[in-house]
Amino acid sequence: MASVVLSEAEKVYIVHGVQEDLRVDGRGCDDYRCVEVETDVVSNTSGSARVKLGHTDILVGVKAEVGTPKLEKADEGYLEFFVDCSANATPEFEGRGGDDLGTEIANTLYRIFNKSSVDLKALCISPREHCWVLYVDVLLLECGGNLFDSISIAVKAALFNTRIPRVRVLEDEEGSKDIELSDDPYDCIRLSVENVPCTVTLCKIGCRHVVDATLQEEACSLASLLVSVTSKGVVTCMRKVGKGSLDPESIFEMMETGKRVGKVLHSSLQKILLKEESLGPKRQKVGFLG
Amino acid sequence: MPGDHRRIRGPEESQPPQLYATEEEEGPADRDPTRLRPVFARAGLLSQAKGSAYLEAGGTKVLCAVSGPRQAEGSDRGSGPAGAGGEAPAALRGRLLCEFRRAPFSGRRRRAPQGGCEERELALALQEALEPAVRLGRYPRAQLEVSALLLEDGGSALAAALTAASLALADAGVEMYDLVVGCGLSRAPGPAPAWLLDPTRLEEERAAAGLTVALMPVLNQVAGLLGSGEGGPTESWAEAVRLGLEGCQRIYPVLQQCLVRAARQRAAAAPP
Repeated sequence: MASVVLSEAEKVYIVHGVQEDLRVDGRGCDDYRCVEVETDVVSNTSGSARVKLGHTDILVGVKAEVGTPKLEKADEGYLEFFVDCSANATPEFEGRGGDDLGTEIANTLYRIFNKSSVDLKALCISPREHCWVLYVDVLLLECGGNLFDSISIAVKAALFNTRIPRVRVLEDEEGSKDIELSDDPYDCIRLSVENVPCTVTLCKIGCRHVVDATLQEEACSLASLLVSVTSKGVVTCMRKVGKGSLDPESIFEMMETGKRVGKVLHSSLQKILLKEESLGPKRQKVGFLG
Repeated sequence: MPGDHRRIRGPEESQPPQLYATEEEEGPADRDPTRLRPVFARAGLLSQAKGSAYLEAGGTKVLCAVSGPRQAEGSDRGSGPAGAGGEAPAALRGRLLCEFRRAPFSGRRRRAPQGGCEERELALALQEALEPAVRLGRYPRAQLEVSALLLEDGGSALAAALTAASLALADAGVEMYDLVVGCGLSRAPGPAPAWLLDPTRLEEERAAAGLTVALMPVLNQVAGLLGSGEGGPTESWAEAVRLGLEGCQRIYPVLQQCLVRAARQRAAAAPP
């Protein structure tokens, strides 16, 4: 992750503030920074979303392509994640520098999404032969702390925005199959993102934990717990990140906080996505200029 | 590749016959959810490594070797992208490089020797779990290399690798705050089943959720945690973590005995 240089005095200031439930920018320990979400920013994709969380900027594009189903799951489609840490985010990501972080985030995304997150059977076109493969590509434009949370919000918003064209399979006399796209460009299937989880990263600073840490706060914390919750409060993934260790009691506390914060995050994200959708195709797109 | 006779690659599209075979047995036998398989641990086996350990638990066999400390590559460049954020003496702190490899014959299907992203994820999990225990501040500008080789996967492979790695580090004489003991758990699919401690390979394959916990027993600090799947609400995961921590405490005496025995052997073998 991008590194920031902090003096000992600044670290002590942050740690003492967190003890009193007061962070440097005035938030409480359980508060997120202001999140800006916008969908449908890239026109060549089946779905896209851009999320700005403080100084963190994430762009996700989802492309739906026809592929062959996996051998063990012949009647389901699947998702493929790829994370690219662009050199714009921080100079450390130049060349192959960002590859390690990119694979770590991609592996975490694979863990978070299990079989009940997205209805994979709806992605099947014909069993054993054709299915929809959703390539979810995440682009890190700017790194300002709390990458996992913003990426999971962006992925959820992009999947909500994804429109997969409806196809029919036609069989020839010889038995060869042909895939036909429907004529109407607006005839598409939408995915239900009800069970798509969002991650909440809780950083342990001193004796308390904070949600949505900035780069400076991450520098003061030695260990964090990453919890991924769905909107119903079901936990799909738990992971300890960082080079420190955690007390078992704090893990239980952090899980409870993660679930509570996660539920609030899901309900506000859902409200905003529905509101954006109701504005219709004539809404003002902010894109990259705002 | 002309003349490459060592790696025999099969045809491009080939599947093992097990894929088309019928299921072997319906459901594993009922078992005590808190049973731990007997653990066999030996340290100090490899002559070329600074420290080594072999751990066997049920069908899972892991061999781990530690080498170093040697000069870190790129130590003058400073911390890399995943380095500590903001610590000025980050370049002075030692580094732990972990590698996790599966033997191609370790699972039911043959895996290519170059594992790919799953092995990198497990190697990162190993590193994150071992770092709290090792006193890296005592090895400035140096790196310690830990490599775990999974010979046979009989369930809870990551947990066994963690335990073997910390035994190997202790055998190498690396300064540590405490040993790291790993324990695996899994939960069968169904309405509200219990979490099973130390699952076998069959239980893991059929599981809806899996969890690996790493504990430092004397300090009672959780060094590593990695879990995913449909585990249910947070209370269920909390119960799983508690069960895992208890399991780790129960394995600890075996590891103590193993290290004492290795130390005695080394003392006996050393010239007076």
